[in-house]
Amino acid sequence: MDIFHHLFLGFEVAWQPINLFYCFFGVLIGTLVGVLPGLGPVAAMSLLLPATFHTSPVASIIMLAGIYYGAQYGGSTTSILVNIPGEASSVMTCLDGYQMARKGRAGPALGISAFGSFIAGTLGIFGLILVAPPLVDFALKFGPPEYFSLMVLGLTVLTFLTSASMIRALMMAAFGLVIGTVGLDNISGLARFSFNIPELLDGVGLVPLVMGLFGISEVLLNIELKIKREIFTTKVKGLLPTWSDWAKSIWSILRGTVIGFFLGTLPGGGAVIASFVSYAIEKKVSPYPEKFGQGMIEGVAAPESANNSAAQAAFIPLLTLGIPSNVVMAMLLGALIIHGVTPGPLLLSQHPDLFWGVVASMYIGNAMLLALNLPLIGIWVKLLKVPYSILFPIIILFCLIGSYSINNSSIDVVIMLIFGLIGYFMRKLSLEPAPLVLAFVLGPMLETALRLSLIKSKGSFAIFFASPISATCLIIALILLIIPILPWLRRRRPGTVLEQENVT
Amino acid sequence: MKKTFLINDLFWIGLAVSVCAGSIKLGLGSWQQPHAGFMPFLSALILGTLALIDLLRGLINQWKDERLDLEIWGNINWPKLWLTIAILFIYVILFSTLGFILGTILLLLFLFRLMEPRPFGQVIFAALITTGLFYLVFKIGLESQLPRGVLGF
Repeated sequence: MDIFHHLFLGFEVAWQPINLFYCFFGVLIGTLVGVLPGLGPVAAMSLLLPATFHTSPVASIIMLAGIYYGAQYGGSTTSILVNIPGEASSVMTCLDGYQMARKGRAGPALGISAFGSFIAGTLGIFGLILVAPPLVDFALKFGPPEYFSLMVLGLTVLTFLTSASMIRALMMAAFGLVIGTVGLDNISGLARFSFNIPELLDGVGLVPLVMGLFGISEVLLNIELKIKREIFTTKVKGLLPTWSDWAKSIWSILRGTVIGFFLGTLPGGGAVIASFVSYAIEKKVSPYPEKFGQGMIEGVAAPESANNSAAQAAFIPLLTLGIPSNVVMAMLLGALIIHGVTPGPLLLSQHPDLFWGVVASMYIGNAMLLALNLPLIGIWVKLLKVPYSILFPIIILFCLIGSYSINNSSIDVVIMLIFGLIGYFMRKLSLEPAPLVLAFVLGPMLETALRLSLIKSKGSFAIFFASPISATCLIIALILLIIPILPWLRRRRPGTVLEQENVT
Repeated sequence: MKKTFLINDLFWIGLAVSVCAGSIKLGLGSWQQPHAGFMPFLSALILGTLALIDLLRGLINQWKDERLDLEIWGNINWPKLWLTIAILFIYVILFSTLGFILGTILLLLFLFRLMEPRPFGQVIFAALITTGLFYLVFKIGLESQLPRGVLGF
């Protein structure tokens, strides 16, 4: 009964006109960045974060969350119509979605993708409602050693799942931890690596770092590419899937939802891995695996459902434990802290309006997305025709003005440009920026938890193995670190499998 | 040749050594009482060790799984890339002096023209419209403190 009472409170908050507006704006921008290849939800969220400073924390998080799950919807449009994934989580949708479009079935592909996303998103929210409150009670028992171990596990899982070399992903995580130490030390107040620049005393800003790594580097990388886009100019019709389409897809949608939900809650997991795994499983359980990649509607329904369900589930570790499971959640964590809200187990009791308001807004946002993505598909297709030569200068300008307006400081813009260059070279060398950002955000929390644990235990590392939760997390992390060393297990690492799936 | 990966690993090792040195200056403390330099030292130590492993692995197998230098750097339009970066840094330097409107119009004129050669009329129109929209959204809508510069608004 308590859940219904809280949910009622959530809807009361989410239905407020200002929150409805921010929810709509968020899902609209999310769909837009999902549709446009090159600009992802992380960059969009960092661009719009300064714009939320004038609003309440609830409205701000509602909008930023909307961008994230909205991008999962929008990403499928480009995958199906252009064969370019708008988002990394829509890569698998290209395989069968584009083939369906080539066979004149772009409508049902877009339709099942939107309906599948809606069903999965809705079920994902119910999962969140059911799982989050008990997890909060559990999380209240966490002390610094448990937090430290959980964060180590999150970072290890993310590097383990990455498609690049695990050593290099770990290097980037370590680099992120180093950057996270810039500024005043939380415990002693001593300035670290600030080079007498006053702006660096507060540390490197999350927004300039993310905008540089994801926004500027993307533009710099695309300057050298000549992407030829083949867009279906014929009118997309018949968006409503037939009964036969539904019969084929419904179990794929449900399987995708369950897989996405579980993978979304894992630290380091998220929408990308969920879509890959659900596609692989769908191919395995299908009586016609050889037809996958030739325009099977199940190949669209499953990954699209999985990525939306995972997008909702990813909020669980953030809202209950205060630990972001992926880069997008790291951005949301940054936004919460900027607004003076401390994420963690106490969030539910101290800010029930924020927690339940955001949850309820997701349901409303999912309904909005269904309305945005189906009848307005023509507009999104037209947007795909905006030339990159117009789009990229605008993205650059957003990054410049966005990072300047946080503190009205040119230093932030310079930092963003430096990280843009770093991000460009990282991408050229296949070094993943995601572990860097997650480690950068977790770094200060990780340091505090580590130092407090060591002070408490008088320097004994046994404290991390004293509690079952902490010990389990560290043992799992250790196993994940050992797997890539063993040749026969290395081939089974999801990152390696994803890479192979990508190639084929 | 695969010099890129050699240079890459050496760069990370160099960075790790510098951070370790800086951390020691800050003070590492003890296991019982870790000081401000403890965490950066630990992180840099991990970074350096991993980069060293990556380097040794590359030296042993001659980076056989990696792309060739030419594949990575061969198709880059270097003048266009460096010009874009230079323009962005110049924009930041002159931002306060020129102000948002004038600085942004000039920046967009360069960028639109640089990305794809178009007639000047189109470029000027696009630069003016984009600057106007950004001014409306950020300066008027979001009340951002954008510099006024020489134009005074």
